[in-house]
Amino acid sequence: MSKAGLAQFQQVFIEESLEGLDTMESSLLALDDGGDAELVHTIFRAAHSIKGGAATFGFPEMSSFTHEAESLLDEVRSGKRPIDASIIELMLRTVDCLRGMFARAQAGEPLNDAVAEGLRNELAAAMGRGTPVATTARRNVDQADAWTIRFRPHAGMLAGGNEPLRLIRELADLGELAVAPSLDALPAFAALEPTECHIGWTIELKGPVKRADIAGVFDWVEGECDLEIEAKHVVADIAPAAAPVAAPAAAPAPNVADAGTARAQREANAESSSVRVSIDKIDGLINLVGELVITQSMLDTFREGELDASRIAVLEQGLAQLARHTRELQESVMGIRLLPIASVFNRFPRMVRDISQKLGKQVKLELIGEQTELDKTVLEKIGDPMVHLVRNAIDHGLETPDKRRAAGKGDTGTLTLHASHRGGNVVVEVSDDGAGLNRDAIVAKAIQRGIITSAEGMSDDAVAELIFQPGFSTAAVTTDLSGRGVGMDVVRRNVSDLGGTVTIRSTQGKGSVFTITLPLTLAIIDGLTAAVGEERYIVPLVSIVESVQLKADAVRSVAGGGELFRFRGEYLPVIRLHDAFGCDGAIHAIDDGLMVVVEGDGARVGLFVDGLIGQQQAVVKSLEANYRRVQGVSGATILADGSVALIVDIAGLVRMQGRKKAA
Amino acid sequence: MGSKTTGGDKGGARVIALPADFRLGSVADVKAELIDAFDAPATQLDGAGVERVDTAALQLLVAFRREATARGQSPSWLGISDVIRDAAGVLGLAQALELPAPMPA
Repeated sequence: MSKAGLAQFQQVFIEESLEGLDTMESSLLALDDGGDAELVHTIFRAAHSIKGGAATFGFPEMSSFTHEAESLLDEVRSGKRPIDASIIELMLRTVDCLRGMFARAQAGEPLNDAVAEGLRNELAAAMGRGTPVATTARRNVDQADAWTIRFRPHAGMLAGGNEPLRLIRELADLGELAVAPSLDALPAFAALEPTECHIGWTIELKGPVKRADIAGVFDWVEGECDLEIEAKHVVADIAPAAAPVAAPAAAPAPNVADAGTARAQREANAESSSVRVSIDKIDGLINLVGELVITQSMLDTFREGELDASRIAVLEQGLAQLARHTRELQESVMGIRLLPIASVFNRFPRMVRDISQKLGKQVKLELIGEQTELDKTVLEKIGDPMVHLVRNAIDHGLETPDKRRAAGKGDTGTLTLHASHRGGNVVVEVSDDGAGLNRDAIVAKAIQRGIITSAEGMSDDAVAELIFQPGFSTAAVTTDLSGRGVGMDVVRRNVSDLGGTVTIRSTQGKGSVFTITLPLTLAIIDGLTAAVGEERYIVPLVSIVESVQLKADAVRSVAGGGELFRFRGEYLPVIRLHDAFGCDGAIHAIDDGLMVVVEGDGARVGLFVDGLIGQQQAVVKSLEANYRRVQGVSGATILADGSVALIVDIAGLVRMQGRKKAA
Repeated sequence: MGSKTTGGDKGGARVIALPADFRLGSVADVKAELIDAFDAPATQLDGAGVERVDTAALQLLVAFRREATARGQSPSWLGISDVIRDAAGVLGLAQALELPAPMPA
């Protein structure tokens, strides 16, 4: 296999293994909650696949490390060792450590580090520690001094990348082997399909070996071969096993695993550049393209002959069909980029467990709507804001068991992550049944920080909004969990960068709900086309509040060059789009044009344009990729007449205006 | 990989040089070459340069030897790399491949 080929498979192996690690982690957490024994098998299989893959794809350190974990898991799996909190903890750290190894593998760095070494010793020590649960009843079947293994690969096993050579070598690690091939099924040379396997083996294995260890070697080829493992009782004058399975017990190493760094590395990994698409989606696409081709050939018939009235009706029907198929195709193609939010949700059980343990709080995490799909790009960027909200909810929202009892609630707080589709949006709610926002504390802090001067007449909602102001943090003591200088303002900015919004609803004593509303995709936006002189601009529909025609005297100039107009009881600044973008031939008189009230970056402004032409869906083309970043513009799109229209970035425009005023 | 007929040998023994990476990806090519070799009165397998080998490759050689022997041709080894010896040992195919005992250079 060429180097490039191997590297490509390595990448696939790494991606699959990271998924395997996610499975291991979630199964371990479920086991911690008293899950059933099947979970142990799931964990074992994941570890085993990683071990085998690591050996095949040239990561021997990873393979041997996983082997330690696997040996421990095997004792649990076969009932020789009861699963307890310490093993779960150890395995969780093993998962973190392996993620670190994969991150280093991708970066081309050496795989082993102090964490891995320490953990390897701990695993080995755990193996040596304590007496495994006796299983005398099954001893005869599970353990013997000699075994006969009949192994006949199916024809397709080699093509599947499984190599008998490797399997038999692995067996040789368990004890002394005598390998006898069976060539009866080997066809004549001319008839031999050289990539199929037609040889079988009868292998005598001598040494005190457990059945599970032998079966473990063949776990990977389950279903790809016929396998019989038969115990033979042989007198004890046989040479001892060449290499014992368990690594020598070492002194327990200090706990050097740093889950934090491992997690950071995992997050760095998360931005992989490929998407896996289900066959169903692809079949749907092929189907639609087929429809499109049929419609096209139907329309093609209109090239010939006179276009009389009778045919026009058919033509219109064809065009309507074309429009429908095109729209469906567009939706399906968008669907390819949509992935379930589960990949983001899945990181929380572990996080919640760690944080709540650290803070001495009891938290039950509920995940609802994990299968809700949203755009991969949005998905990749929504993780951090959500992590922040979840941390905040546990740190500031939920109370300690004592306080909860005092408030007449159960000891365990509930944190709920809920995702759902609403219209063209995805709504993610992070809710807790904790203390809720403390109005007095927020007001006091806001006054102290100079954000407001008085809270008189402010509604609870308006007070709650204050926590999104830059420089606001209510925690009296900043902990290492929340309050690391990143405030709710950053959460709001991150979400609004994705074209979404964050709102809070809180009831004192009952809890808080943070609602993140996100567009389904970043690739298409709904917008209004605005005319400014000769130019056309797209104003995103989500940011439009309403549009009004003003009288000439409604807009007043203020000192410093700005303009204001009164809108529903408040004064809003005016941004003249022709000024901001320097368009010629635009309307300057206020009463001739249109004021579009928009909201962005937490502020409302009036955008003054010549007029609105209509609503349309705009396919966003990146300006950065094709030209360079332009202030106040988030992208470009192509209009029906083929001309280019820029998409206005409201938040950017508001910030631009703010700087201009300050200057 | 490549084959040539040694001109000096009476009858012309065909020498088949096995590829350095003699695994699943190259077995089909080697098979094609081995089929041609049945026409020659004798063949010599040169496995000295084989650096990587797998089950599919050894299986191909076993099938080849069996067929050649049935045709009255006796294929012999011109060179055997340690990799081949080791893999044949693990798979228990050394006898079927009639690997000669390792000789001092």
